[in-house]
Amino acid sequence: MSTVYHKPDTADQPYRDPTPLPTDLPKVAELGTTSAPLKSAAFFIGAYCKDYNDDFMLCKAENRDPAHCLKEGRRVTRCAQDLISKMRENCLEQFKAHWNCLEHNNQEYHYCRKPERTLNKCMFEKLGLVKTIPGIPEGKTPIHDVKDPIYGHVQK
Amino acid sequence: MSAPYRQDMPPPGGFQQIRYKRNLPFRGPSGAVILAGVTAFCGYGFYRIGLGNLEKRELQRERVWSRIHLVPLLLAEGDRDAYRRQHAALEREKEIMKDVPGWEAGKSVYHNPRYRPADTMVVL
Repeated sequence: MSTVYHKPDTADQPYRDPTPLPTDLPKVAELGTTSAPLKSAAFFIGAYCKDYNDDFMLCKAENRDPAHCLKEGRRVTRCAQDLISKMRENCLEQFKAHWNCLEHNNQEYHYCRKPERTLNKCMFEKLGLVKTIPGIPEGKTPIHDVKDPIYGHVQK
Repeated sequence: MSAPYRQDMPPPGGFQQIRYKRNLPFRGPSGAVILAGVTAFCGYGFYRIGLGNLEKRELQRERVWSRIHLVPLLLAEGDRDAYRRQHAALEREKEIMKDVPGWEAGKSVYHNPRYRPADTMVVL
């Protein structure tokens, strides 16, 4: 077990995890998606993986021990992976445009409505997923559908 | 030699009006009009601020929900890592304390089965 830190880009050997997960657990690849694509996909993850997410959070409410909810956690990760790969298959261009926009705009949704709308449209047409924000006051347009918002690139 | 008598009379049509009124140029709208205008202008501004505040609230709701949807995913990933660390710490403890008779590796110092996150962490 070496405790010396080697920079991964200059190390002469590939990085080996000295303390991997126990082998009796089923393997699940981590999602590895960075923050902007995650933020872009967040509402679709919420819609697509609702059952798994709820199940996992209920399990966590039972017991905070990380060992308690590993199975549910794997399901959550697999579901998110499934969704991200489906998004990439069906709406790669729109997805990329949106998360690149988020990346360049401090990860704020209200600067990126244009690419977001094309992404939402594509996701609805191809996968039937709709972005819904819970708790909107009754009779109001959801903020991502407002035609002429006050807060945008130019504050009006 | 004397001039014939003649009564001095006003010019035909009478004298011109005496201009006794002050002749000041128009100095712009009155104070009341300006006050009303500024009030209306500010009122519109405050109305827009109100609309903007409502919109800000919705934007905040959107932001918060985008995070809430990601919590299970991030928590699951963190849990796997925490579990890995827990497991590694236990293995390490077993290895270090193998010569001490009666040592129970991984036994909590608290007589409580409730889960406690580790106080220290080995970064590996």
